Amino acid sequence: MSDEFVKGLATLCGGLFGWMVFSGWYTTEGFESTQLIAEVPTDPAIYGNIALTLREALFWFAIFGAITFWVLIPAGRQARAALRDRRSSN
Amino acid sequence: MTDTTDTDERNDATEEVAADGAGIVAPDDETPTWRERKERRQGLSRLTYEYFERSRREDQDLRTESSYVERDVLAFPTWPHEMIRNLSLTSFFVGLILFLAAALPPHLGAPADPSTTPAIILPDWYLYWSFGLLKLGPLNPDLAILGGQKLMKDATYGVLANLVVVGFIALVPFLNKGSARRPVEQPFWSAVGVFGVVFAVMISGLSIKNLWPAWVNVHLLFDLTFLLPFVAGFITYGILKAMREGYMFELNRRYYRLRPPR
Repeated sequence: MSDEFVKGLATLCGGLFGWMVFSGWYTTEGFESTQLIAEVPTDPAIYGNIALTLREALFWFAIFGAITFWVLIPAGRQARAALRDRRSSN
Repeated sequence: MTDTTDTDERNDATEEVAADGAGIVAPDDETPTWRERKERRQGLSRLTYEYFERSRREDQDLRTESSYVERDVLAFPTWPHEMIRNLSLTSFFVGLILFLAAALPPHLGAPADPSTTPAIILPDWYLYWSFGLLKLGPLNPDLAILGGQKLMKDATYGVLANLVVVGFIALVPFLNKGSARRPVEQPFWSAVGVFGVVFAVMISGLSIKNLWPAWVNVHLLFDLTFLLPFVAGFITYGILKAMREGYMFELNRRYYRLRPPR
């Protein structure tokens, strides 16, 4: 149980960490204006495109990774255990 | 073998008199008995009881399964046990710093201009609470005996408020030794702690009242600064008091017992 927790935490922190680095380069207006969540540049070059894609991917990796480890997998285990109990009691 | 058993029995015999952190165990007249706990069938106390009972049982099961021989251990050796752990933690954080320094774009601002005063002057964020205490002007009473005058300037009043807060913080260790292992064990002092944290956050928010966006009502913020800590403290006390009914004071006591060195 705690293993799944730390896996979810690791995906969340690691994904958001990478997201923060890419956002620092591409979606930060300046130190004293909007940081990390500013407008996405309209016409990025090829590297910019790759970086922005990775940024999105890392963000959703963090979100879905955490949901998977904290919600989906434990829920699936509980459901399977409940099914097994029902079968064995019948 | 007989020798070990003898030592164990001696330990058990001295257990009652041992100075095992006197404040850890609740006062006898307040501790619910096992039967009382089991009779609690609803609400937060039941939930707390079930939570701790489950963790206790899991711990017991693990001990039963384990082939590890329990010994009285005061500490682990520095080398290699502690050093391996410390080095891995240190490496992790050093690596994090190196990565951030290499991968994040650096901010190179304009050089500081010593000839002009910035529009906004603020202390570092962790001193906002003290800065906020300087803005207690509305609490400085106009005294009728002085003909509606204030006893002291608002600034002096704010500085004295700092002394009150620091004085209270300095006093707390003398009032409570902090021997509780979990907030449930001492609801009142936990509530005092929550009061302090909420007050620190609110007074920090008050200290930058001129920087909030327009929808923040500054007068309401001022009132909430002094009301919310009490609300949070009372809620904490109520919840923890209800939880304490189901709490096991004996749980994990062995981990926290202080053994005198031989």
